[in-house]
Amino acid sequence: MPEEAAEQGESLIHVAIKAETLFHLGPIAITNSMVGTLITTVLLVSLAWWASRNHAVVPGRLQAVLEFPVDFLAGIVRAQHATRWRAILPPVLTIFLLVLVANYVGLLPGVGTIGVHVVENGHEAVAPIIRPASADLNFTLALALVAFVLFVGWGIRANGLRGYLKETFIANPPYMTPLMTPIHIVSELSRIISLSMRLFGNVFAGEILLAVMLALTFAVIPVAFLGLEMIFGAVQALVFALLTLTYITLAAAGHGGGHDEADDSRDHDADDLGVRAGAH
Amino acid sequence: MDLTPLAAGLAIGLGALGPGIGLGLGVSKAMEALGRNPEASGALFVPYVLGLALTEAVAIYALVIGLLILFT
Repeated sequence: MPEEAAEQGESLIHVAIKAETLFHLGPIAITNSMVGTLITTVLLVSLAWWASRNHAVVPGRLQAVLEFPVDFLAGIVRAQHATRWRAILPPVLTIFLLVLVANYVGLLPGVGTIGVHVVENGHEAVAPIIRPASADLNFTLALALVAFVLFVGWGIRANGLRGYLKETFIANPPYMTPLMTPIHIVSELSRIISLSMRLFGNVFAGEILLAVMLALTFAVIPVAFLGLEMIFGAVQALVFALLTLTYITLAAAGHGGGHDEADDSRDHDADDLGVRAGAH
Repeated sequence: MDLTPLAAGLAIGLGALGPGIGLGLGVSKAMEALGRNPEASGALFVPYVLGLALTEAVAIYALVIGLLILFT
């Protein structure tokens, strides 16, 4: 059905909400978003391989570029988890780098524009060979599920299984349980939906925006939107990582954690500012 | 007459109205705070980005609904 709608409209604008199947490898359908994911993974792994073998005390150019996101996120995680940041940083950083590179792969020239003819639902359509991984709901949903397992796991680790179940299924004044518990469960599960939909919606809408601008305008004008998408790609990667970190923080803080945590950090910031003002 | 495109357009158009106002309010308050106390930029950054992301999620829901109307 998406192909029909695309063919009715401008031929330059290709809108397909699900990834197109390129070919079948045995029983597995290889979609174009899988190609995008593969490129993302190969890029990340080769960068990590290079970085782990060629590190110097005084960083070179590439090493400095690679160290920047690590440093940046380590600073943020450390500010919230002074003691456990070494355990929390790796998954958060992995999510950040994966989403960042996946978003940027979508901006490479040729991605989404070079396609092959495939037969889908009985009629012929043009499917791009490479589709950015994060413009496929399967990818973002999988990442959101990983994040869910992470923050539930941290909740169990911090409070024990009994403590976690008690906190999740029994409200603070116990007589409020019938009212609060369904809300609590829905809010926990809606995090998966909101995490995955936010990333998918942003990247997918970005792809459509680029295609529309390419069709409506000419020459160098779409480049401005390409720049905009570069900012959005980084921001969305950061948002996904930061939300995962926040959910982990809330889960690990334990009973009624949200408020205490917020108050603590505010006090801490106030102290920090006071110290800095004093130093001046 | 097929009104499906109109429905999709209205879904994202009206759905973006609230988050648009919300994002504007958020950014304006953050800029105000930054103007009063430029030193706090580091402490402001994470809650600022998170707040914007959570506000913007509402517009993304509207976008998803619009796409669902258009394609299903």
